[in-house]
Parts: sequence; structure tokens; C-alpha cells
Amino acid sequence: MATADFQTLIDRRAGIIGTLKEELIRRFNLPYTPEDLHEDVSLLGSGLGLDSLDALEIVLCVESCFKVKVPDNSMSILRSINTLVDFVIAEQDALVAPR
Amino acid sequence: MRKLPLGARWEGATIAERHGVEVVSRIADFETEYRLVRDSVALTDFSFLRRYRFPTDQGIDLLDALLPGNVARIRYGRVMQTFMADNDGRLLADCYVANNDEELILLCEAAAPDDLVARIIREADKEGIGQDLTDSHVLLSIDGFNAWAVVRDLFGADVLGLPYLSVELYPFGEEQVYLFRAGKTSEFGYLLMAPRSVGERLLDAVRDAVARQGGGACGVEAHDALRLEGRFFNIHAEGVRVGDPLVLGLQWMIDLEKSDYRGAAAILRQRAAGLSRKVIGVLATPGEDRLRIGAHLFHGADDVAEVVADAWSPGLGRWVALAVFRIDMAYAGLAFSLGSPEGPEVRTISMPPIMAKSLSVKLDEM
Repeated sequence: MATADFQTLIDRRAGIIGTLKEELIRRFNLPYTPEDLHEDVSLLGSGLGLDSLDALEIVLCVESCFKVKVPDNSMSILRSINTLVDFVIAEQDALVAPR
Repeated sequence: MRKLPLGARWEGATIAERHGVEVVSRIADFETEYRLVRDSVALTDFSFLRRYRFPTDQGIDLLDALLPGNVARIRYGRVMQTFMADNDGRLLADCYVANNDEELILLCEAAAPDDLVARIIREADKEGIGQDLTDSHVLLSIDGFNAWAVVRDLFGADVLGLPYLSVELYPFGEEQVYLFRAGKTSEFGYLLMAPRSVGERLLDAVRDAVARQGGGACGVEAHDALRLEGRFFNIHAEGVRVGDPLVLGLQWMIDLEKSDYRGAAAILRQRAAGLSRKVIGVLATPGEDRLRIGAHLFHGADDVAEVVADAWSPGLGRWVALAVFRIDMAYAGLAFSLGSPEGPEVRTISMPPIMAKSLSVKLDEM
């Protein structure tokens, strides 16, 4: 049985993953359901096979869905759905952290 | 055991067997070979893969009936990654299919007995249209941050314009060499397939070009670790231990609109039922125990996952692994106990955990 904090982490991550997958499927017309997309699948190159132009669309997708700013040199963020989710969580945490 | 065509040229190397095929397992020490790929360039004998040629007009239907990927949609000059399954939808081989205009090239890395995969392809090819190139051709892999410089020296600067997952023919002596831009190390990668008649000469030429870039030879053990770090699917690690392509997250290799390939009924049935398990990356705490294959991970007293692939990561300085988790706990960013409820902490992670240097270089702009 998951503890409360543990479950909170899962719920938060699952929420971001769900939003991101739905939006990627819609924007790129991907022939998958959210359940078909593993969070570690490579977004560019192999995996989903998106290209460098698509990378810009992914950035716009993340920025509009989560109200965060993706830095210009963002290749490390764009490797997988999970790395995008890590970025979103880090940005959200930074916004609420005491300065 | 099927022997490597160039096996005699790997004197002093550690030779092992994988599913009835000889492989060059290790040449120097693991970390040296790993560093060659990450920092320079390494040559590896990949002739353990089975390889076939089919005429495109007839080969499309044949391969579409065999593989879950959509072969008809591979554009000219491009390569598709897919797999071969048995009738129960279990993985048999990791496959590349290349569309080289008038011909389709199939490369199979099998986790099943080599002769079984050969028999399945032979039986699928009822008309005998295919040509088995496994014994007649050699396959060499060139991987690393400077791999592009090696193929440029061998075939000219236009190789730099080849996109990832593409194929092109280049002259070598009196023969043609297939150059696949592929690779599963996260760094630049190329596969060279050539007739055996020029195999030794090609090996010598590649060795010389690799040496000029400060590189050397590398065995498949280092490739296993590099694949895991880069979260490239490894049929010999998590593939053979899990077997289920959906649990492994290989849906992207499947055309989900197809229903008539080998193993399709079982795969589609599993998809409709939903997943109860999923593979997730795990990272050990520095200095802590090895994440051994077969080890179990605990949340409290609950046994929630089993390690199915492991590797020491020189880049991360700790053990990295893949584990099959209960679906409700299959998320990155969580802490679990290794081996017992009181065991050392390990954390699930987003894969890949490394940022390959090659991702920061744009070859077509050089």
C-alpha cells in the first residue's frame, strides 16, 4: 500500500504525464492512446521519430500547457516524456520555493 | 554455433555465445571500451546479426506479414526499427528494416536460437524471393562521438548529411558497402554491411580510420551498458527476460492498425486488456550495492518490482538498471528499498539518465 507522500508524488507526476501525452497525441496526430506511450520513449530520432521542427512544437506544447518557459538550449529536456515531466516539476517547484 | 566471418581477426578477444551465435564480448577492459564510444570511436563486429535482402515489390508483403512495423511506409533511403515475435506475441528478435529503393534489407538481432529465426524467415518466404546474406556478408558497427569522422574518411563528406535511421550504398574496392546510420549507444553510430569478399579489407580500412581518430575496438559487453544508459532497447537484456513488447514500452515499434503479423492476436489482446506491469529505470545510490538482475525492489513491505537489466555506468559512477514494476508504482522519481524492506535505497529515474555528447553536434551543419 502506498503511503500518503509517496502517493502524492505519484498523483502529481501522473497528472503531468497525462496532460502531456494527450497534448502530444493531439498536436502530432500520433496513432497511439496515452497508455501506448511509454514515458521513456525517445521523442526525437528513434521512438516517436519526431524531427527538429517538431521539437519547437514540443516546446510550445510544454510552455502553453504548464505555463513554464523552456530554455533555448533544451535538447536534454526534449529526450523523452519523462525528461519533459522532470523539467515541468522542477520549474513548478522553483516558482513556489521561498526566495 | 554460427561463427563470425571475421572471427579469426579478433585474436586475443573474449569470445562468447549468444543464442547459438559467436560474439566478440570484450577486447580490452569494459571501462576502456565504454570510454572509446563516449569520448572517441569504437569498432565492433556485429556480424552476429542475421541479415537478408528482399526485392521491394514482393518483400513488402512478406515482411509486413512477419513484423509488427509497417514496412510499406518506410520511405526510400530510410530504416525502420521493429521486432519479430512468436505466435504468443513474445519477442524473438530486434529488427531493422531498410528501404534501399529496389530492395529491402532486414537485420535481425535475435534473442532466440539463431537457427529458429532463420527457419521462421525461410518459412515466411514461401516463394524464395529473399536472399540470406548472413554468411555472405559481414556487418561492422562504428560507434562514438567521432564515428562520423571515420565514415567521412572512408566514404566522403556527404555521409554527414545522412539522417539517423537511413541507408546508403557506397563503393568500396570493386564492391558496394551498405552504410546504415543507426546505432544504439546515444553517440553517433553507423553499421557497414559488405560482401565477405571485401570483409577483411573493409575491417582493415575501418581499423585504420578508427585508429586515426584515437579509437579502438570494442566488444558487445560495453554496448550492453551503453544501450541501457541510453534506454535503447536491448533484446539480449530486458528483451529476453521480459519477452512482452508492451511491458517493455515497444508500442512505438508496432503499427497498431495492423492485425495480421506474426504474434498480432496475442499482442493486440494484451493491449486491450491493459498493462499490469511496466519497465522503469532505476539508479543505485553511489557506493551502494549492485542492482543485480533478479533483485527485488520494495515499497514498505510490498515487493513491487524486479530488476531485468543492469549495468555499471562509468558515466554516472553507479549502477543503473531497468526493473519491471507493478503498474501503480511505475513512475520515475520514487524511492524504493533494494533486496528487502530494510535494504539500501534506490530511486526510479527518467531515462535516459545521461546526455550524450553527440546530441550537441549537428553533422549536417559541419
